[in-house]
Amino acid sequence: MRFRLPGSRSARAALAVLILLLLLPGASWFYSSSGPAGKSCSRCHEIRPTYNLWVSSSHRGIDCEQCHGGALTLDAGFHLTNFHRLAVHVRGDAPDQVRLRNIDVPGMVERCRSCHRQEFAQWQSGPHSATYARIFVDKAHNRKRLLTDDCLRCHGMHFEGPIAALVTPLDTAGPWQLAKPEVAGWPAIPCLACHQVHRQGSPLLKTGAEGRVRGPEQERNRPSLALFDRRGLSHIDVSRLPLPVMLEGARVVKMSPDPRQALCYQCHAPEAGMQVGSGDDRTATGVHEGIGCLACHDRHGQKTRASCAHCHPRLSNCGLDVEKMDTTFRNPESRHNIHFVKCLDCHPKGVPRKKTPERL
Amino acid sequence: MALERVNAVVVGSGAGGGIVAKELAQAGLRVVLLERGSWVTAYDCRKDDLRNQRTTVLGNAFGPDDERHPRVVVDESGRERTLRASEPGYHNNAGCVGGGTASYGAMAWRFMEKDFRMRSTYGAVPGSTLEDWPLSYADLEPYYEKAEWEIGVSGDDAGNVFRAPRRRPLPMPPLPPNRECQVLRPAALRLGLHPFDIPMLRNSVPYNGRPACMRCRWCVGFACEVDAKCGTQNTVIPAALKTGNCELRCDCVAGQVLLDERGRAAGVAYFDARGRYREQPADLVVVSCAAIESARLLLNSRSRLFPKGLGNRHDWVGRNLQGHTYPRAAGLFDFELYDDQGPGAGIAVCDYNHGNPGLAGGGMLANEFIRLPYQFVAQVPRSAGRWGRGHKEFMRKWYRRSMSVMGPVQEMPMFDSRVEVDPVVKDHWGIPVARLSGGKHPHTLEVARYMAGKAEAWLKEAGAIHTWTVVPGPGLSGGQHQAGTCRMGGDPRTSVVNRYCQVHDVDNVFVIDGSVHVTNGGFNPVLTIMALAYYASAHLVKTWKGTRMRS
Amino acid sequence: MSASPWKRRRFLSAGVSSAAATFSGCRRNQNPWRFFTLEEAFLVEQICQQLIPADQDAGGREAGVVNYIDRQLAGFHSRQQNLYRRGLVRVDEIARAMFQDRFTSLASERQVAVLEEAETKETAFFNAILAHAMQGFYGDPRHGGNRDYASWRMLGVPPRPVRGRQQYDLTRGRG
Repeated sequence: MRFRLPGSRSARAALAVLILLLLLPGASWFYSSSGPAGKSCSRCHEIRPTYNLWVSSSHRGIDCEQCHGGALTLDAGFHLTNFHRLAVHVRGDAPDQVRLRNIDVPGMVERCRSCHRQEFAQWQSGPHSATYARIFVDKAHNRKRLLTDDCLRCHGMHFEGPIAALVTPLDTAGPWQLAKPEVAGWPAIPCLACHQVHRQGSPLLKTGAEGRVRGPEQERNRPSLALFDRRGLSHIDVSRLPLPVMLEGARVVKMSPDPRQALCYQCHAPEAGMQVGSGDDRTATGVHEGIGCLACHDRHGQKTRASCAHCHPRLSNCGLDVEKMDTTFRNPESRHNIHFVKCLDCHPKGVPRKKTPERL
Repeated sequence: MALERVNAVVVGSGAGGGIVAKELAQAGLRVVLLERGSWVTAYDCRKDDLRNQRTTVLGNAFGPDDERHPRVVVDESGRERTLRASEPGYHNNAGCVGGGTASYGAMAWRFMEKDFRMRSTYGAVPGSTLEDWPLSYADLEPYYEKAEWEIGVSGDDAGNVFRAPRRRPLPMPPLPPNRECQVLRPAALRLGLHPFDIPMLRNSVPYNGRPACMRCRWCVGFACEVDAKCGTQNTVIPAALKTGNCELRCDCVAGQVLLDERGRAAGVAYFDARGRYREQPADLVVVSCAAIESARLLLNSRSRLFPKGLGNRHDWVGRNLQGHTYPRAAGLFDFELYDDQGPGAGIAVCDYNHGNPGLAGGGMLANEFIRLPYQFVAQVPRSAGRWGRGHKEFMRKWYRRSMSVMGPVQEMPMFDSRVEVDPVVKDHWGIPVARLSGGKHPHTLEVARYMAGKAEAWLKEAGAIHTWTVVPGPGLSGGQHQAGTCRMGGDPRTSVVNRYCQVHDVDNVFVIDGSVHVTNGGFNPVLTIMALAYYASAHLVKTWKGTRMRS
Repeated sequence: MSASPWKRRRFLSAGVSSAAATFSGCRRNQNPWRFFTLEEAFLVEQICQQLIPADQDAGGREAGVVNYIDRQLAGFHSRQQNLYRRGLVRVDEIARAMFQDRFTSLASERQVAVLEEAETKETAFFNAILAHAMQGFYGDPRHGGNRDYASWRMLGVPPRPVRGRQQYDLTRGRG
């Protein structure tokens, strides 16, 4: 037997819309107000593992609603998502682990920004904030190199679908365009590419228990550092990522033990032979060997200029102004490529011996 | 609603069909290419080590799907089972554009001269239908070369003194050797063997507009995330489509080849992506569905003139199903071998393909592809236990310090190893499914035991502190190397197609895939399938006269 | 268009039931598993801990193997639900016959003895749970097992290798 509502098609539709409009926020509000303030989400057992992680995370002081929206929000998407969740719940085919949908990730950038303003500003001024449009329809790149699914490993990792569903045509002739124009403005490397929010850890302390400013140790072990793995649709904690043994020929290159670099190496990675300078590798060799990525690179903006002065004050013994040197890696001809510059590059006739080594 | 008539329908877009479609389309024929699966990409399996095309415990990543494609398999004891496509024993290849070439390991072997003359070389083998091919290596040589350059092969077989003569070297150098190869090469030389870099359909340098392999560990069974693996889906099929003469129809399942009243093919009946029955009229039909499905399609194409199936007047369609028997030797070492550099396999010897004392044939030996952790579980020897402390201890201790050498033994064809159509079980579209039965020839197993010993000796010389061998059981072979079911030959009473892959009784139906292999060589068969496809297409185009073949 | 009335009906029914669920609370609140009962899940966990025992590295329990199995039995391996239901009962029966107690109450060595018995007497079930345990332990974490890459860390396999690409230029040279 067929269930039919009386009235015309449009009237029935209007009725359905009205019910939805009332039902959804109402249900959400009922739901959220029935638990402890800001924590009612945990009533839903599917969300509980995620909730439990949040409770022990460095974000534990921020309520669910501040990131995920509240019952009284005007964002229709929020209510529809909740509706979908309930439907899934009732059908009994909830996902194994509740997680942020990829499509919601670009929007999270704004949520992060509401607190992390300085980090956001740095990120936005740096290369890692490039948009999908900037990365994937770059003529200079696409003419030379073929876009493949592997590109999405490091940029656009939250895109749902293969590269073929993102850019057309997939060749080196072009002209290229995004198959889904709505993603053009999305950041290709959003906050959640390198950070996870639901992760055990303590809030950052300005001063330690002993009352002193905490050293770089705390900074090196930030709990949120993790790589979003597109294949498994989950974050891999930075401690689980390998810090490679880099080689220059057969020689093992000295490297800073800073564990955060494991994250950098996932994308700025050498080819399989692990040779410095191969692929996208930027491991410092030569005069800067042993210095870690983050010693020079600003964490969110990747800027480095300011860091030169730490070690090379303008009035140095040799009279060189390092800030005016062409140290860019972009120019393969550059003799001062900061990642690989060696003593011999400036002293082709032989490196002068240090005069008074015993005094150093 | 009738579809517009075309010159050719090619059924199946794998190694054979993809090439035929392109060759015909470039020659100006209007071609419809039917594929039962769809376009797949690396995103369809995302390096999932439980759901790909090699490990299918959570399903086939690249088809066919479990729900709609059952098959009946009869084991040695006569027990009948209806299997889903991802179950062991189904003898799956793949169901997607590019077929097996979208996710294969991509070894690109030319058969040796003797592989085409097995009967003349070794005489009759009792109980086997061993026979010579009606064509020789020299006939195929130019087409091997064409396949190597058009599809793209890297490697260096200069060190292989046993190889058949070639006019041109391979277009790409080999990938640098991984740790296993570095250990195995000097060991082989010490044994007086002739090791060399395996030819692979994989870019080692940018080639054909696609990048080089980045050497990840997810290779065989996976689609390549950098598109460095060369299959028909990223070479000839796009070229075919570019001509404007070829239309690719995905998710279309062919049911039978239609015949007219004079006994010539009139087209193909199939079910389209929406499950609708369609008839595609055509001047000629090319069947390229791989040995099991090609035989099934012919057997299902019954008519007044061919009551037992198309081309099956003498009951040879579906016979001689063979694949490869893979003996394996494993060795444990007191140093690390795992270096996480894919694809893993890289070094081979052809010293044991022929001339083994008292044995007919043999096979090449090569190191294995990278074994992902779950794949290694099954490689733990029984002595360590199947489970519990011992098994885990073994995994932990030896995963990075072990390797395997294995090789495809050329099988002795068996008349009773066969594909039939099941009288009862039908697939999702109501088409009778393939029914597989038979087993291996005892001599095949004898050769396999011999080869396992040779593989073990190689590992011992390489410094293995403990070795063991694994030889497969007597059950049916097939799998991704499936071949033989539509044998090519000069005599219509003992073969299905002629040397140009043309069905003896019906001159406008061609079978162009591994089905026509008389014997399957001691090598992965894909390059031979590709060479045959070029060879048969060249003949087809040459004899093509407007809307029919010149007789 | 032919599918739309059906879709609309499903949409409505889902809406109504969603609302009902919201106000009535959750029925499945007590049992977090999809297929197993709480007792079954505990038993499976104990079995898996013997199939892959914990030592200096995580075992089946720590790696969440039961979660993998539960998820697959509700999904891809749903055909094996009955095999599991019966097999788990049989394991307990064997335990009672051998040691007059439930499997989960036995000491570790006795559990091993029961499983050895089950391996020969309940071959189909034993092979299934063994295969699934290995999949859940050594397989990809995305399917619910191998928690925190436990087995891959044990084997020394990074979840993602460091792997960059050639800086080739297709406009130059061959190709």
